[in-house]
Amino acid sequence: MESLKLLAPLAWRNIWRTPRRTVITLIVVSVGMSSILLFAAFLEAWAASSRDRTLTLLTGSAQIHAEGFLDDPTVKRMFDEPSGALADALQDSGISGWAPRLIVPAILQSEYRTMPITLVGVSPAHERAVSVLPGNVVDGNYLQDPADPGIVIGRKLLDHLKTRRGKRVILLAQAADGSLAERSFTISGAFAGDSAIEEQFVFVGLQVAQGMLGTGERLSEIALRVEDPEALGPIVERLRHAAPGLDIRPWKELSPLAAAVDETMGLMIYIWLWVMFVLIAFGIVNTQLMAVFERVREFGLMQALGMKPRAILGLVTLESGILVGLGVLIGMAAAVVAINSVTDGIDISFFAEGAAMVGAGTMLFPEIDPARIVQLSFVVWALGVGVALWPARKAAKSSPMEAMKHVS
Amino acid sequence: MCPERAGTRNRIARGQPEGALRERSPLVSCRGLIKTYVQGAIEVPALRGVDLDLARGDFATLAGPSGSGKTTLLNMIGGLDRPSAGDVVLDGRNLATLGKAELAELRLHRIGFVFQSYNLIPVLSALENVEFILRLQGIAPRERRQRALEALADVGLEGLEGRRPAHLSGGQQQRVAVARALVGRPAIVLADEPTANLDTRNAEELIELMAALNARLGTTFLMGTHDARVIARAQRHIELTDGRISSDETRPAG
Ligand SMILES: Nc1ncnc2c1ncn2[C@@H]1O[C@H](COP(=O)(O)OP(=O)(O)OP(=O)(O)O)[C@@H](O)[C@H]1O
Ligand SMILES: [Mg+2]
Repeated sequence: MESLKLLAPLAWRNIWRTPRRTVITLIVVSVGMSSILLFAAFLEAWAASSRDRTLTLLTGSAQIHAEGFLDDPTVKRMFDEPSGALADALQDSGISGWAPRLIVPAILQSEYRTMPITLVGVSPAHERAVSVLPGNVVDGNYLQDPADPGIVIGRKLLDHLKTRRGKRVILLAQAADGSLAERSFTISGAFAGDSAIEEQFVFVGLQVAQGMLGTGERLSEIALRVEDPEALGPIVERLRHAAPGLDIRPWKELSPLAAAVDETMGLMIYIWLWVMFVLIAFGIVNTQLMAVFERVREFGLMQALGMKPRAILGLVTLESGILVGLGVLIGMAAAVVAINSVTDGIDISFFAEGAAMVGAGTMLFPEIDPARIVQLSFVVWALGVGVALWPARKAAKSSPMEAMKHVS
Repeated sequence: MCPERAGTRNRIARGQPEGALRERSPLVSCRGLIKTYVQGAIEVPALRGVDLDLARGDFATLAGPSGSGKTTLLNMIGGLDRPSAGDVVLDGRNLATLGKAELAELRLHRIGFVFQSYNLIPVLSALENVEFILRLQGIAPRERRQRALEALADVGLEGLEGRRPAHLSGGQQQRVAVARALVGRPAIVLADEPTANLDTRNAEELIELMAALNARLGTTFLMGTHDARVIARAQRHIELTDGRISSDETRPAG
């Protein structure tokens, strides 16, 4: 403690002996630090966007299918409406909603065009508890109930079919008995999602779809929503236990891409941290080596006067610690200001194609957990001080005889 | 750090009961000192067998041609470097038996240094430079400040306590160095060419100052120097030639 009282003011003054060099070092460290934090915030926003898209657009947190449906999603692979143990398990308080669906590949025809699509029969009230799409109708209305005779299709698909709300379209699909089912619908609304979903999915009432395809009250999918990520695993386990014959999977298995994005982001943040850290390390080691070489005689003097090599090591390490610490604080402050200035989101639609490929939306909302800021900053600071031990050890090795050397 | 320091103080204190014997024994005793610098394949003999005793209170100069070994001898006595052969006993302790950290402790408590130049820590004021020693010694703040101010007053630097070395003249810097060398109450002050960078007036003032402090405090001084003014003021004069003592005269005080 007493030695810190001796060393701290000395370290602080030594840092400002060469203000230019100190300022340059501070710039290098703070730019590196803020870029690490900004990159982390951006990547985390990206991962969150991709995760949210998976979770809230259509997939939900987990899904139930008949065995084999995911490999061969046809009208043959279906299961009965939940009852008994499965119905009970779906009452779990951790499940905020679940939506029964009938899903088949189909063809949709307008006056001008024919497009292959995926038909989804939905129960609107249930659907709203799982997916944001019912709330994303930008033109007209969503379906009212499972018997609603209308059809809701994506904005993009509407364009492709060169048709509009209120017009009629014809739906063709293979029925449960193998025959070709055909029925005409009036377009009651168009939804906005991302372009892949807008192009692919078409929604009709569940009962209407079941009637058209002759499936009775059978389903091809139940999507469910779980708010707490921690609770998802145990819930999936309980559902599996309740319905051993069904294929029940969490979103990470259903959407490996989104899961991979989620997991790679963490790795990328650390790669960037290392890249920036190498820059910071060069800056700090270079500065401190210069500072030490210039002061060999002074370190010798201090040792001649009775200061121990350990105290010299402490002095130079303290200088590095203050220098890197200041740089880290400045970088941290700059990053926080920058992140807070874009809380309205960054529009990345200028490369939306690329963004869509890795599953993100076109708006990113960078934000960063204060605990994470502190954690990353501390890692950079500790590593910075760590590499600066090298010049500090050089300083501690200065000989006390340096003080006796004649100059001039 | 502090327990170690206390330990050393105790060790030093424990030597005191034999004070009567120690008063008669020399403060510094060099026996058969040999120092050979090895530079690659070349061996440079700097000291070729020096026997030297310094009594308590000696005010001695060490002269000799350039390269005769003055600085080398001061390094050995000050525990800054180790001899190739022979022993230095300072204040009853054989330096060869001390480790690096113990030597640092010994320098801190028993030896004051005045170097030729760049004596002071540039980022510290005159007062802080003097206090530096007392801080290392672990002296409490109040006493530390008091003693440092007194030491600076002793060398005639009242009013300049807050100045950094860059804002002091060469003569003033050397005075601060003398104050710092004495403030820790060492047994001996070792000075190497303390006046070499000073003009005549400043050199004379500095040497008068050291002589006065020697007389008043009884601190032993050993000064390596070429300076005739310094040598003239010395009570004992030692000449080194080619790494050996070629003459050693003690003049009657006066
Ligand atoms: N670190 C060293 N490495 C090699 N040789 C050295 C070293 N220090 C001193 N010497 C040599 O040892 C001899 C004695 O040097 P020293 O510095 O003790 O002489 P000096 O009497 O102090 O000379 P000066 O009056 O020039 O200061 C010289 O020949 C010198 O070149
Ligand atoms: Mg010399």
